[in-house]
Amino acid sequence: MESLSDTLWDVVICGTGLQQSLLALSLSRSGKKILHIDPKEYYGGPDAALSLEEAQRWQAEHASASATASSIFNSATILQSPEPANLPSRSYSLALSTQIIHTRSALLSQLVSSRAYRQIEFLSVGSFYVFKPSSDAQIPPTLSRIPSTREDVFSTTAIPARAKRSLMKFLKFVLDYDSESNAEVWRSHADEPLTTFLASQFSLDNELQAYVLALTMSLDQNVVTRDGLAVINRHLTSMGVFGPGFAAVYPKWGGLSEVAQVACRAGAVGGGIYILGTGIEKVVDQAEVDEPVEVVLSSGTTVKTTWLVLGTEDQPEAGAEQISRLVAVVTSPLASLFEVSVEAAPAPAVAVIAYPPGSVITKDGIASEQPVYVYAHSSDTGECPIGQSVLYFTTRTCPLAKALLEAALESLLTALESPQCLYQLYYQQSHGSTSIQSKGTLVHLPAPSLNLAFDDSTLESIHEAWKMVMDGKREDIDEEYMVFADREGEILAIKSKARVCTTHFISIPSDAA
Amino acid sequence: MATYEAAFLTQKCNLPTRTIKFEIWDTAGQERFASLAPMYYRNAQAALVVYDLTKPTSLIKAKHWVAELQRQASPGIVIALVGNKLDLCSDAGADAGDDEDGSGDSGDARKVPTEESKAYAEEEGLLFFETSAKTGHNVSDVFTAIANAIPETSLKSARGPGAASGAAGRNEEQRVNLGGPRNADSKEGCAC
Repeated sequence: MESLSDTLWDVVICGTGLQQSLLALSLSRSGKKILHIDPKEYYGGPDAALSLEEAQRWQAEHASASATASSIFNSATILQSPEPANLPSRSYSLALSTQIIHTRSALLSQLVSSRAYRQIEFLSVGSFYVFKPSSDAQIPPTLSRIPSTREDVFSTTAIPARAKRSLMKFLKFVLDYDSESNAEVWRSHADEPLTTFLASQFSLDNELQAYVLALTMSLDQNVVTRDGLAVINRHLTSMGVFGPGFAAVYPKWGGLSEVAQVACRAGAVGGGIYILGTGIEKVVDQAEVDEPVEVVLSSGTTVKTTWLVLGTEDQPEAGAEQISRLVAVVTSPLASLFEVSVEAAPAPAVAVIAYPPGSVITKDGIASEQPVYVYAHSSDTGECPIGQSVLYFTTRTCPLAKALLEAALESLLTALESPQCLYQLYYQQSHGSTSIQSKGTLVHLPAPSLNLAFDDSTLESIHEAWKMVMDGKREDIDEEYMVFADREGEILAIKSKARVCTTHFISIPSDAA
Repeated sequence: MATYEAAFLTQKCNLPTRTIKFEIWDTAGQERFASLAPMYYRNAQAALVVYDLTKPTSLIKAKHWVAELQRQASPGIVIALVGNKLDLCSDAGADAGDDEDGSGDSGDARKVPTEESKAYAEEEGLLFFETSAKTGHNVSDVFTAIANAIPETSLKSARGPGAASGAAGRNEEQRVNLGGPRNADSKEGCAC
């Protein structure tokens, strides 16, 4: 094949985060010459899932305090780590930006229409819990499961009958919150905190408010009614789409990291060239607008391309909102969190726990002012060995965020019969740009959102970048976006009377180079 | 095998006591700049590392990939080292010599002696074959040898009546199916 520098590339994509990778997937059958590089030695960029060894290197690179100019991640510290020899590094894949995907998300429909979903194993996100602190030091705190369907509310014994009616009324309202008569109820309260609205319009008490607020997945205690209702509606209408008992899914082996890898693989199968560990040294100014862009790679090679697409994970916005994350590995399967709550539902691999404001108290006795969320992942996610679990804590960054997350971890372990903790990684993540930016044929995709659930608006900028590259002036071009037939050879049905077993292996042609 | 445009192949292999369905993931060129994603390694029960008998450098690269597999893949992985393009070597096996190509005038292009690779494969505990993808010589033997080398316990059973058991069964219960009717079709194809 031609050398990198002799080729005139149609598109050079830098970074293998979810967005760049989905762009590569969308272009994978376009016949465009694509060079896809990443300065990191692993796929996924800010959405990566790391082995312990990789996490250690990652921590060292992102250790500096406060948002620096070179990454959206900062203040990374390994708070606890066993002797390396005791933990097989590659048995772990810890996700940097864990997000669950609602079953109605356009991401899933695009993965289906592009056929990429066949290589991903989706696991279900099961129960949502609210953490209840105990006022008595002798009694451990508890987790209270949130009833999130009407059948569920009906059968629960945790809520008194009168409160049940109010909650039922609210759930019915949210399912149809955009209808004319229902919109009238909330429109005038749209910018008020949701909690105020719940109390005034549905007389929900503090406990029920905490249930409802947990479903908003918002890190902001004062999430406004308009936003809160939209998320709860999405949650409730996502229930049962792909099977009973779950509203969201999570890709096995590290969530969005796996989606990025599968998307890059599609790009490679379509002829795209992939190089990890190679970034961009500099972009040479074009002499003429129509001339190709010259890009000097960190390897020293200069390549020429028509389009250059970059991420913005290296450009945090100064003074922007930040979130704090704590990833902890514990030595227990935490089986009680992953029980099947609805008949015939698939066994969940992810559970969600919400700490209402005030329910976490630091060692120094200071209470949390904002919600804390935990995603508990069982070993079925492939992120840790069997018998262990990974806990992902998130809250808004504040001076006490680290102490609060450590306290939240400790109290959760107490509520779950005190398993041991093996490993803890703390870091902060800040907002980058939220919209696509382009200048000529240079395109910047936005940074990943800080939301706890996958945000479909992420997909819009990818679609936009695709249109630019495809010169999408044709009116019907959108119909081709992410819609592919199966590749030949992918769906050979195997028929046999004998017992059929499946194995999975890879073939590496060393002679291809 | 340069599997351009086909990401994923399946091949059936009949053994006396069982039939194995291989799901073969081609590396799609991502190996070229040593940029293979972890998704290739995980759960892979076997790997096929192919080098070119006429290019000594390809064996060096093959050794690199063997080391990489030993480092990254699951400990029980079966690795087969395969020297390809046997049809270009004059000492090719009897069947290859008989093929219509008639290797007479092409001479011997072999640059990697069998003994060298065989000794290396023995040292590392690899299966070893020399094949011709062009004539098909030894190709099915590679798959049969791999099928025989994979321990029964590490195979996951296909979906379908009576096939699910133990841990594998639980796995199937967990998977969320996004495919709808299309997937149901292929399921029928597999389980009969």
